Amino acid sequence: MIDDEYLLASLRTAAGHDPMPAHVAASSRDLYTLRLVRADTANPLECAANRGVRGGAGPRMVRFATEELLFEFEVTIGDGLIDLSGHISPHPGQDATVEIRTPHLTVIRSPAGGGQFAATGLPPGWFSVVCHRPGLHPVATRWVRIRP
Amino acid sequence: MEDPREAAELLTAAALEDPSAWNALVARFGPQLWHIARACGLNKADAEDVVQGTWLRLVENLYAIREPAGIASWLRTTARREALLIARKGGAEFASGTASALDGATAATFDTAARQGAADPVSALLEADGGRLLWQAISLLHEPCRTLLRLVATDTGGRQLAVRLGVPAGSVGPTRARCLDKLRTLISLEELVP
Repeated sequence: MIDDEYLLASLRTAAGHDPMPAHVAASSRDLYTLRLVRADTANPLECAANRGVRGGAGPRMVRFATEELLFEFEVTIGDGLIDLSGHISPHPGQDATVEIRTPHLTVIRSPAGGGQFAATGLPPGWFSVVCHRPGLHPVATRWVRIRP
Repeated sequence: MEDPREAAELLTAAALEDPSAWNALVARFGPQLWHIARACGLNKADAEDVVQGTWLRLVENLYAIREPAGIASWLRTTARREALLIARKGGAEFASGTASALDGATAATFDTAARQGAADPVSALLEADGGRLLWQAISLLHEPCRTLLRLVATDTGGRQLAVRLGVPAGSVGPTRARCLDKLRTLISLEELVP
């Protein structure tokens, strides 16, 4: 069943009103550079923290896992920007690097002794965290949308 | 100029490191994804997140897709799902933080998406060719619906609509609803009669 709003939006598109802005097309093209060949995917874990609490204050936890690695990170939103601090367990190894990716920028960290990593002042929107270990496939979390 | 390759072919090529194929997919389907997000009542910033999120789901699955022929339906289904999540949660939460929120984005569901697409031909018609078929359908309606829907499509306000149609302002809403019903019926029938 097509509701009125959907039909009206379709009409506006058909009339050439409300076209997709050019910068959205440009950023969509750029997303191709974020593909990862032979990556293992860490899926979100169903937990109360992931569901979030509407209007709730304070940091929120997000967790992703593969069969071998667990990603847990805490999200803090301040002044419209995102801070992430988390850890990967078990520790991915001394030579491992962690990439915190957004469509606009990527931050690279070497996890500390306990597997911790952090990045601050990130733009809100889509995020993914990737763990690179020498000689092994990268492990990437699913993309998650984080907005104030 | 539009890339002449089929969508499935573009998807396969994009997975084989052909950026022009990816760009062609974005050009072909991006406006539909935008439209789906806007049709779910999202503002432009959230609609942008839906379009980006949909392509990111494809990036996640690029090397795992078994049935590239399902790409068009899969993109539409994914966009609709992301849009409804954002619409429901008001952007204040991790829109895709749960497994259930993401299950539509796995490569294994390409088949399912294709079947859903086939089961929803009216959506496909609305989204085909940037609305060209829908626009043609309007011209088959009688007045005042033909004029009214064309004016509504260009965001003409209620008062101005009443003046242009020569009807009392109070009757514009009910007339609009009736005309949308007629259009809905027409496009359903159009689909049934090839």
